[in-house]
Amino acid sequence: MSAGEARLVLLGWSLRAGGSRSLRERIAFSADETREALERIRGKGLVTESVIVATCHRSEIYGLADGETPRERIAALISEWRGLDFAELTGSSFYREGADAARHLFRVASGLDSMALGESEVLGQVRTALRVAREANASRAVLHRMFESAVAAGKRVRTETEIARHPLSVPSIGFELATKVFGSMDDHTLLVLGAGETGALFAEQAVAAGVARVLVANRSPERASDLARRIGATAVEWNAVPSTLAEADVVVGATASPVPVVRHADVDAAMRARRGRPMFFLDLAVPRDVEPSVADIYNVYAYGLDDLEGVAEENRRRRAREIPRAEGILEEELGRFLGWFGNLAVVPTLTGLQEKLATLRDAELSRIPAEERERFRAFADAIAGKLLHEPLRRLKSEPDASRKLDRVEAIRHLFDLDE
Amino acid sequence: MGAHVLGWLAVACYCAAEAVAIVSLVRGRGALAHLAPVLVGGGLVLHFVDLMQRAHALGSVPYRTLGGSVSFFGWMLGLAYLFLLIRHRERATGPFLIPFVILATAVGLLLPDAAAAPGEGLHGSVFALHVTLAILAYAAFALSFVLSVLYLVQSRQLRQKRQGLLFARLPPLEVIARLNRTSVTVGLAVLTLSLVLGLFWAEKVWPSLADPKVVWALVTLAVYGFLLWMDRRGWEGPRVAVLSILGFGVVIFSYTVVNLYFSHAHSFR
Repeated sequence: MSAGEARLVLLGWSLRAGGSRSLRERIAFSADETREALERIRGKGLVTESVIVATCHRSEIYGLADGETPRERIAALISEWRGLDFAELTGSSFYREGADAARHLFRVASGLDSMALGESEVLGQVRTALRVAREANASRAVLHRMFESAVAAGKRVRTETEIARHPLSVPSIGFELATKVFGSMDDHTLLVLGAGETGALFAEQAVAAGVARVLVANRSPERASDLARRIGATAVEWNAVPSTLAEADVVVGATASPVPVVRHADVDAAMRARRGRPMFFLDLAVPRDVEPSVADIYNVYAYGLDDLEGVAEENRRRRAREIPRAEGILEEELGRFLGWFGNLAVVPTLTGLQEKLATLRDAELSRIPAEERERFRAFADAIAGKLLHEPLRRLKSEPDASRKLDRVEAIRHLFDLDE
Repeated sequence: MGAHVLGWLAVACYCAAEAVAIVSLVRGRGALAHLAPVLVGGGLVLHFVDLMQRAHALGSVPYRTLGGSVSFFGWMLGLAYLFLLIRHRERATGPFLIPFVILATAVGLLLPDAAAAPGEGLHGSVFALHVTLAILAYAAFALSFVLSVLYLVQSRQLRQKRQGLLFARLPPLEVIARLNRTSVTVGLAVLTLSLVLGLFWAEKVWPSLADPKVVWALVTLAVYGFLLWMDRRGWEGPRVAVLSILGFGVVIFSYTVVNLYFSHAHSFR
């Protein structure tokens, strides 16, 4: 096999909203199913290489195919294996070829195709996809290079643009705001009120982020001490919360209490005990845990859930503003890959073309008298050489990698080099 | 040397550093970020040679004249910027601090050195130290002024829940507050020392110590002393920043108005 005879193909399913739920579930690939799918696709000889990217939002089969109608043949295989209706399966899929297939992978790796724009998890998933394919002996030089390039592009996009920088989730935004007041949190104290789902999540993230001291208080003390034990925090008696406030630099409200649990007077007293050192309140509870007037106390900063969601919205816009720069980087890396791949394709195409002409020439020469053949051979070669000279020169010197690839494709098709 | 070629070259370096600092502030991390300190460092070297040439021409310390003292003030401030950068890796203050360096250096170069009439007693190491320390203190207060403005901007953005470009780039409030505290403490200590040296030295040269500039220096000490005191007693935060801005107002007033109009014997001319 040479790359010249093969095309990059991508058959994918977006598992976001839309499409029937059952189909989404059945087209998702677990790790084992991914291996099995790679095995089956290769077994049928549909592709020479393949890698499957499976995340919660997408199933994508990348391949290097040399046969006809790879889309239908891969879809048929999946439909047969999974017992899915062929029409439904192809109807809900999308298909890309050549540079577009590679571009899609680069976008996925950069987080441009993710629901949370710029999220970084997908980069690891792309890496895993390549590793699984390699272990299953399904990927070789081309897809290996394509996936490595996509990962490199994804990394560049995340370090050189701000597409992954502004946090989108409420806890991480809250945490970032707190560090905007206190700087490093590794010598500060954080108090979480409420050991329910939100409070536990926040406390756990705070411990993981290296906050020096994480205190947890809950109305029923067992839950607080359970949580504290589990994540390595310190439990605080519910009744001791007002007196503990002075020790806390950051207070997170996440109780289900119908009335505010942090009162203006308590914060006022705490601030006096702190000699005015700033305090930061993150109120994640509905209804509020922190009396609104707390925000009026000198050197106290208070954010509610609405504020944090406003910041999330703003951060989404900021990430979106980075899309053009991210795409610039992506095209640069894509160009580099396609240039490499294109060169793989150009040389065999040229040889293929020359071989084809030689066959035609010899067939014609066999029909004329032997003594004249030499003369006609020279004549035919001269015409073929002159005719091909300019197109081939242009093809070789084409600077745009994806256009080069298209032209190679066109030549292969027009001269029927891929019988 | 009349033309101050090196001095203007230094100004050019500072301007380039400012441009680089602004670009790297807007664009976030970038390869350019390392260029600003190099440019400021180069400017400081050129600037220093220019100050030495001025000193040579005056046959005295370069800050004998008002121009020389302003230029020297700019030099000290540039040094403070480098210190912040190297010691605290604090980049975001650059674009706000360097303009003061540029302004002071350029003004210092533009003010003419009056035909130096060597005042009696305006030489000697005590005098030199007195003036050097005073100018260092002013540079520290100028730094505190810039930090305080940034503190107020950052605090306001946090309070209004509006996060502009600056919000992401400026250091955390407590970091700015800590730098500010250090800066004021240094300024206060150095100004006190300068004042003591000055009084010690003036006692021998002057008939009376009741001098307007001395009085204003005491007012400056009082404002910044009050600032540090209240910083520990619950004013940490925006109020301290406002006090620092007021304090710098007093410094500018005594440097300009008092220096030029009220204090004849005790001024840079």
